[in-house]
Amino acid sequence: MSNIQTNTSVNWEIGPIFRAMLRNKVGAILIALQIAITMTIIVNSVYIIVERSKEMQRDSGIDNKNSFSLTSVGFAENFNAAVTVEEDLNTLRNLPGIVDAIQINAIPNSGSGWSMGLKTQSGVEHDAVGTAVYMVDEHGINALDVEIIAGENFAPTDIGLREVGQVKWPNKTILTKAMAENLFPEIPYSSVVGKTVYINDIDPMIVIGIIDKLQAPWVGWNNLENVMLSPERMDYKGSRYFIRTEPSQRDSVMKQVEELLANSNKGRLIQGMRSIEETRERSYRGHTAMIKILTTVMVILTIVTALGIVGLASFSVNQRKKQIGTRRALGASQSAIVRYFMLENFLISTIGVVFGAALTIALNILLVNTFGLDRIDWFYIPIGMVVLWLVGQGAVFGPAKKAANIPPALATRTV
Amino acid sequence: MLKMTDVKKVFRTDLVETQALRDFNLHVGEGDFVAVTGPSGSGKTTFLNIAGLLETFSGGKYELDGQDVSNLNDKKRSQLRNEKIGFIFQSFNLIPDLNLFDNVDVPLRYRGFNSAERKKRIENSLEMVGLAQRMKHLPSQLSGGQQQRVAIARALAGEPRFLLADEPTGNLDTQMANSVMDLLKNINDAGTTIIMVTHDGELASQARRNIYVRDGKVSEVNNADISSPAQLSAV
Repeated sequence: MSNIQTNTSVNWEIGPIFRAMLRNKVGAILIALQIAITMTIIVNSVYIIVERSKEMQRDSGIDNKNSFSLTSVGFAENFNAAVTVEEDLNTLRNLPGIVDAIQINAIPNSGSGWSMGLKTQSGVEHDAVGTAVYMVDEHGINALDVEIIAGENFAPTDIGLREVGQVKWPNKTILTKAMAENLFPEIPYSSVVGKTVYINDIDPMIVIGIIDKLQAPWVGWNNLENVMLSPERMDYKGSRYFIRTEPSQRDSVMKQVEELLANSNKGRLIQGMRSIEETRERSYRGHTAMIKILTTVMVILTIVTALGIVGLASFSVNQRKKQIGTRRALGASQSAIVRYFMLENFLISTIGVVFGAALTIALNILLVNTFGLDRIDWFYIPIGMVVLWLVGQGAVFGPAKKAANIPPALATRTV
Repeated sequence: MLKMTDVKKVFRTDLVETQALRDFNLHVGEGDFVAVTGPSGSGKTTFLNIAGLLETFSGGKYELDGQDVSNLNDKKRSQLRNEKIGFIFQSFNLIPDLNLFDNVDVPLRYRGFNSAERKKRIENSLEMVGLAQRMKHLPSQLSGGQQQRVAIARALAGEPRFLLADEPTGNLDTQMANSVMDLLKNINDAGTTIIMVTHDGELASQARRNIYVRDGKVSEVNNADISSPAQLSAV
């Protein structure tokens, strides 16, 4: 007897467990299905959350922390917009704590703005590249905290005054690097300086500078960094100001500015004063809500799945008390009993995650085709499988330990 | 081979203390076939559980195959059960979802035998009980007597030093009971020590030696067969 050849390694019972499972399929199939559905939803949810988070983390190009905006709306009959803007900007630019201030037609990431199409050739027959338009004066670069990486800034003499309903455009523009590359993909962005682009199909504008990065107002737009600056102030009764402050001065400056502007001209209202951080938070509120909802769904699903596994395993342990006692009597150690249930769950989970992987891909294809989402990165699937395996193993551990505590003497009792 | 000296077993609850075994003394030699009888609640099953290392005991000394098993941990006890003891239960205790082959395989896997060795042993033991042709059948497809034969095959496959049988014919009709008893006697004749707990006096009389347990003690010993291969003693 003592000379019998034995395995020194643990003797896994995969074959018998699998064959026994096949004879009691229903519970195992239901749990495997639950694991598959959970994996499908979790993996796609995590992917969506990560994508949304990445979008929220994108660099807007401006100084989010230290900038704010407000709107001045003139209502008095004798309200002179151009003069008021000039006076306001002089006041603001000389106020301690303010780095620079500009009048601007739209606030980056605010959700509301202007868009135009730029062409490299004149004529309606040519395709245009869509772009957001920010109308700024020569202080725009400094106020927005963007960097000119090729060419030059607008000169004060370049700045025009846009009337309401005006269709004519200035003859100069500054583009973002992304816009320059989209318009002229075959040449380096720096070579775009000096090129003529066409707005309104035929109106020429010379590109005098390239800035590193600036985002459009619409955070959900695919070409978010397609932006052009137009050298203009607006002679509009409603006027937006974009103000950049010294670090950590924003909140105190905001209060001061609101009071100052409101008192400086009683013929207008100051409204919509908010930090750029708040503006971005409002624009990404849909993202934030989706992340919260998906996270909640994921947590609930994971808990429900884990509880399902605990329930099935506990039921299985209670049903098999006599069998477990018999196994113990026949020589199974407590760890062998734990291993048995963990292995059984591992097999069920494996069926679940394999099926789940297929379902995950199917759901992703559906999301791609229906909602235009990006295709899921491949590594999400093995990570999802491992996570669901771990959830399964974690959930079954308690019942498995309970099973291991069933005494071997139960084999001789009537239960 | 199996020696119990003043073994005690006390079951305690918050309200009650029950002495299941008190100063239990027994010596079973190699190759013996001992039938343990006694009224219900006398301590037969407790004795069997302790002898089979299924339960610990409260006092005294128990030597199994020369080894003091009084203070072994659960893992060591499991290992000893697996290597030295074969169990036969009243209700067979076959695993209903496993076929005969896999049922007999259960203790062999815990033993760590490789697959070829296990297969050989399973086939041999099922052959010995006359069920080699039905090894792919489920227990539910067999009669009670056949199921008990499978249980015996499972107990024997690991070639244990002892067979502990708990009412092995309790759930069988007379014909099947006799058949199982004949099988046990053959196994004993081949050298395996058997301790059998039974209510059935006729069955007990077929053993080499009878032990009568009452109130948790060995109260009577009848050496039915003086030609027993072992020197027997009971105190």
